[in-house]
Amino acid sequence: IPLIYINIILTFTISLLKILIYHSHLISSLLYLKKIILSLFIITTLTTLNTHSLLTNIIPITILIFTTYKTTINLTLLISISNTYNLNYIHNLNLLQY
Amino acid sequence: FILMLSLTLGTMITITSNHWVTAWAGLEINTLAIIPLISKSHHPRAIEAATKYFLTQATASALMLFSSMTNAWSSGQWDITQLTNPPSCLLLTAAIAIKLGLTPFHFWFPEVLQGSSLTTALLLSTAMKFPPTTILLLTSHSLNPTLLSTMAIMSIALGGWMGLNQTQTRKILAFSSISHLGWMTTIITYNPKLTLLTFYLYSLMTTSIFLSMNSTNTLKLSTLMTSWTKAPMLNTTLMLTLLSLAGLPPLTGFLPKWLIIQELTKQEMTTTATIISMLSLLGLFFYLRLTYCSTITLPPNSSNKMKQWSIKKPVNTLTPTL
Repeated sequence: IPLIYINIILTFTISLLKILIYHSHLISSLLYLKKIILSLFIITTLTTLNTHSLLTNIIPITILIFTTYKTTINLTLLISISNTYNLNYIHNLNLLQY
Repeated sequence: FILMLSLTLGTMITITSNHWVTAWAGLEINTLAIIPLISKSHHPRAIEAATKYFLTQATASALMLFSSMTNAWSSGQWDITQLTNPPSCLLLTAAIAIKLGLTPFHFWFPEVLQGSSLTTALLLSTAMKFPPTTILLLTSHSLNPTLLSTMAIMSIALGGWMGLNQTQTRKILAFSSISHLGWMTTIITYNPKLTLLTFYLYSLMTTSIFLSMNSTNTLKLSTLMTSWTKAPMLNTTLMLTLLSLAGLPPLTGFLPKWLIIQELTKQEMTTTATIISMLSLLGLFFYLRLTYCSTITLPPNSSNKMKQWSIKKPVNTLTPTL
């Protein structure tokens, strides 16, 4: 049904826009990154279940595996930022302008 | 050690892939492997560079996955060479432009190069550019030529213009790589083999420059001026490689530019060819300034220090004589 498809594409685009136009914290952009990949995961599961092909069932699982990699590295970077910086705001990323 | 192995593994996975998920997986492995390399020195600049790099590359890979998924929805197959859905093609070009650092999305690149050490910057600008270019090559027959050529011309312009005011050598090299990538993407829809050629030659030249800079540890223009005391032979070869990066005729850097201009005139895009060659003059200015600073000027106190460095000299002497 195309309606579900449109809904998931809407989640993808809105979260993408939320990454690009962030409010104040960096953590929010990471959250919306996770949301993007979740929406992609749902699309893949829909496509693989509707086309009853047995080979493409691996795809959502592998996406989940690599997203776990990514989220771990996300969080370690966050920790290192909070160790070196005092705050978590985006205005603090000014060091590399010079 | 392990990180370099995983880097090579990631590039191999993307290069030898005919399914979108394997390409995406390889790119993710590459980003994963390079981020600890960038943030190895626990300096806030390095960590900031790592976060910027991570954010941009993560969004780009998510966009790539999305384009592959819309393609799979509309055409029912996950082959890389069969991109039939036009909006997915557009999304893919945008995603790879973010990954490579082409013009509307180039903002992360100089800062990330500035924040990382010289060897990791070398890896970032040569090895990490290779898998997205292979993906572009694989899908080059179904890409949008107008979008690519506009991005390419703008990137050459921006690479030339923004490199003019820089004093940090890593940022200069970042803008030079942006302009070279622009040269590569002009020709990708017409003759993809030329993009491969330009990429190989560009990677050779930039590796030689980075390694020579690494041996003398020049991060600013002022340290370039005193580098002739450390190893004079290195300085002369550095000058030659810089000029070949600029694209002067007797050196090898001129070859890809000549061939690209030839291909563009065959496709009757002479205006773009003239615009590109005019804009490369901007780059020529700061390359000339670099050579002027490194070889022709003398510092006020000339001290001939003969220190022993670990220099990879054979790379530097071969590339100008190619």
